[in-house]
Amino acid sequence: MNYFLHILIMCAIYLILALSLNLLIGFCGLFSIAHAAFYGIGAYISTLLMVKLGVNFFLTLPAAILGAMILAVIIAIPSLRLKGDYFFLSTLAFQIIVFSILYNWISLTRGPYGIPGIPKPKIFGLEFSDIPQYLILAIIICLIISLIFKNLYFSPFGRVLKAIREDEIVANALGKNVTKFKILTFIISGGLAAVAGSLYASYVTYIDPTSFTLDESIFIFSIIIIGGTGNFKGPLIGTIIMIFLPEILRFLRIPDTVAANVRQIIYGLLLIIFMRIRPQGIFGEYKFE
Amino acid sequence: MVNISLNKMIRTNKISKSFGGVKAVDNVSVTFYDNKITGLIGPNGAGKTTLFNIINGFLKPDEGEVYLNDLRIDHLYPYQIAQLGIGRMFQDTRVLGKMTVLENVLLASKRQTGENPWKLFFLKHKVKKEEAIIKEEAIKWLKFVGLEDKINTYAENLSYGQQKLLTLARLLTAGSNILLLDEPTAGVDPGMIPIILNLLRNLVDEGKTIILIEHNMTVVLEICDWVYFMDEGKIVCWGLPLEVLADQKVKEAYLGL
Repeated sequence: MNYFLHILIMCAIYLILALSLNLLIGFCGLFSIAHAAFYGIGAYISTLLMVKLGVNFFLTLPAAILGAMILAVIIAIPSLRLKGDYFFLSTLAFQIIVFSILYNWISLTRGPYGIPGIPKPKIFGLEFSDIPQYLILAIIICLIISLIFKNLYFSPFGRVLKAIREDEIVANALGKNVTKFKILTFIISGGLAAVAGSLYASYVTYIDPTSFTLDESIFIFSIIIIGGTGNFKGPLIGTIIMIFLPEILRFLRIPDTVAANVRQIIYGLLLIIFMRIRPQGIFGEYKFE
Repeated sequence: MVNISLNKMIRTNKISKSFGGVKAVDNVSVTFYDNKITGLIGPNGAGKTTLFNIINGFLKPDEGEVYLNDLRIDHLYPYQIAQLGIGRMFQDTRVLGKMTVLENVLLASKRQTGENPWKLFFLKHKVKKEEAIIKEEAIKWLKFVGLEDKINTYAENLSYGQQKLLTLARLLTAGSNILLLDEPTAGVDPGMIPIILNLLRNLVDEGKTIILIEHNMTVVLEICDWVYFMDEGKIVCWGLPLEVLADQKVKEAYLGL
């Protein structure tokens, strides 16, 4: 039972990541591959504040969001000067830089040794320590974040983003400050992705940089490619499929060492199949061309 | 903020723009008067669209200035120029294909509180109220151009002529007082042309200023109050439509006479 609840917690975490990347890609049309960097920044800021300074989990959340937002500005300003493929490459570079910092700043992050003993969230004497309790917390946070994204998606703000995705020149000619909207989107998307990081860190109680690699960015990217972008249900179905599908492998009695590789092959195949046959994903309205 | 409704006259002063040695616009000084339909005609490559791109800020002139009444605008960004009430219709419609007809038009409305993500959450009520007003306005203009029964269609599924009408509704919802229209009748079903021309006339009667790039001389004769003829980046002649079309240089350019 706990195993199933564990998968649901992972779904909640990845839904936050998928929804935030969807704002960037599905609405604004900005192809970023740096999402694991925001995820990692969130995880590390929360962890360091909790472990080193004993700050309460819930108080670390605003700090994690703020930290990721600052990172977003740092990435956005030079990257947004670039167009298309070059923008993409620039976010790739930042993803790798963030990973390298987490990996090599040993005095702060302990690098590859990781940080163990991350406390569980506590509020008003209530501790979210076992899996069912943590699931409740994850669902509550995920719901709040989902609600924020839902409001953003279907708002005049989201409408401008869609217009930028469809035709930047038209958005400009209609009086929208395109650069400002792109930077704002980057900040919101990055900031809220950090929440997933905080949630993850205090759930698994141990983090190291390998959880926030380029592979992780690609995984989040795959979720919304397969589920579809530009709406709410796309990232939702994408998350469910991508989190549950590999778990099915466990029931096929494939040895663990093989299963890890099979999982990667399945992700790759799914991506290729969707790009070929259904580039808008399962529920998406926006085709990747 | 300058009162937009007063800003309806556009004037360029000796503007030039070159692309790799070719002078696309060469020392052009023109005035587009308010409450008039001014035609901009000339052969392909004469620099008409470049002139439009300079007026609405997509291109910066190498030399010269552009004024909206007394306000110099050539150093502004396109979105700032749009906010001053200068709207642009593109030659190739440029509808936002994966957005509905209604969304295309709602988007155009200026200064929406809900476009600010923070206010979206903290002034929820205001945003909602504003959205209702914008929607009413949008539907009014969609009715005006005859697209009210298509509001939930994706814009990419409209016919070419309907897309042109949609972009017109978009400009009107934006509250633009000066409309730069790049071939509004090109590629449009001939049955629809009189409808569009009628709309344009009504708009000028309502106080808008229209600048029109047009290749269809029947349209020019029928609707324009004043015409500039452009060739090789220069304004060659100007005047009432009949006078300009009778000019030898215009005849040469268009008919090879």
